[in-house]
Amino acid sequence: MADENTPQSPAPQAPAAPTGIASHGAPQRPGGPPMQGSRPGGGPPRRGKRSFVRKKKVCRFCVDKSDYIDYKKAEILAPFLQERGKILPRRMTGTCARHQRWLTVAIKRAQNIALLPFAAEL
Amino acid sequence: MEERQYDLIFICRPDTPEPDIDKVISTLEHAATEKGGKIEKTEKWGRKRMAYRVQRLREGYYVFMLVRSSHGEVVKELERRLKVADAVIKYLTVRIDEELKRQEKLKRHREKRAARRPRKPATAPAAAMGAGGEHAAAQS
Repeated sequence: MADENTPQSPAPQAPAAPTGIASHGAPQRPGGPPMQGSRPGGGPPRRGKRSFVRKKKVCRFCVDKSDYIDYKKAEILAPFLQERGKILPRRMTGTCARHQRWLTVAIKRAQNIALLPFAAEL
Repeated sequence: MEERQYDLIFICRPDTPEPDIDKVISTLEHAATEKGGKIEKTEKWGRKRMAYRVQRLREGYYVFMLVRSSHGEVVKELERRLKVADAVIKYLTVRIDEELKRQEKLKRHREKRAARRPRKPATAPAAAMGAGGEHAAAQS
């Protein structure tokens, strides 16, 4: 019951849907990284065992209708990184497939010119 | 050959005096024009903290340039000069014209669709437009 396939999510094969809203990706995995407040599109934290509302996550770039993700704007890209510098998966952020593709390219470029970290320093 | 556009960012040591940075910029401009390219825009972003240490430095002086050229020789020469310059600790060149083109295309596309939608939303054939979530929403 405590895993990600709680009654609310339609089916485990849903995450491939283009809008990427179906699956939430285990918000409370025991060994996983802690949830951050700054995560884009992250829903409210789970309260009880089954009483929780899943907020529909929307691709932030689709909302802004952006045709280009600028790698020079590190402050836009930063929320899509974990604390340690990993790129957050789509199921966490709700980004659509197309924008996630652009986003990863932009993040990698920004990393190369030291605007974003490859990995957080100790 | 058609013209290409590049973003060129380089980082200087934070302790470099301003005249030296200007010197680097002007040599790059000369080099670019010599090879038949052009530097459209130069922006000094100033001292910024870098996301990780480069040559044991935590800060760097960022300079951004927009380069236009019709062949890759210009970029080659610019990168060679940056490599030689002592003050420069890091640089990056990105070809951006194709992405700008894509951006333009998508923008035109959206405007066309926006102009058409209010009159007859049902006539828009689904096959004529690019994929995307908003598109699906518009059709329903």
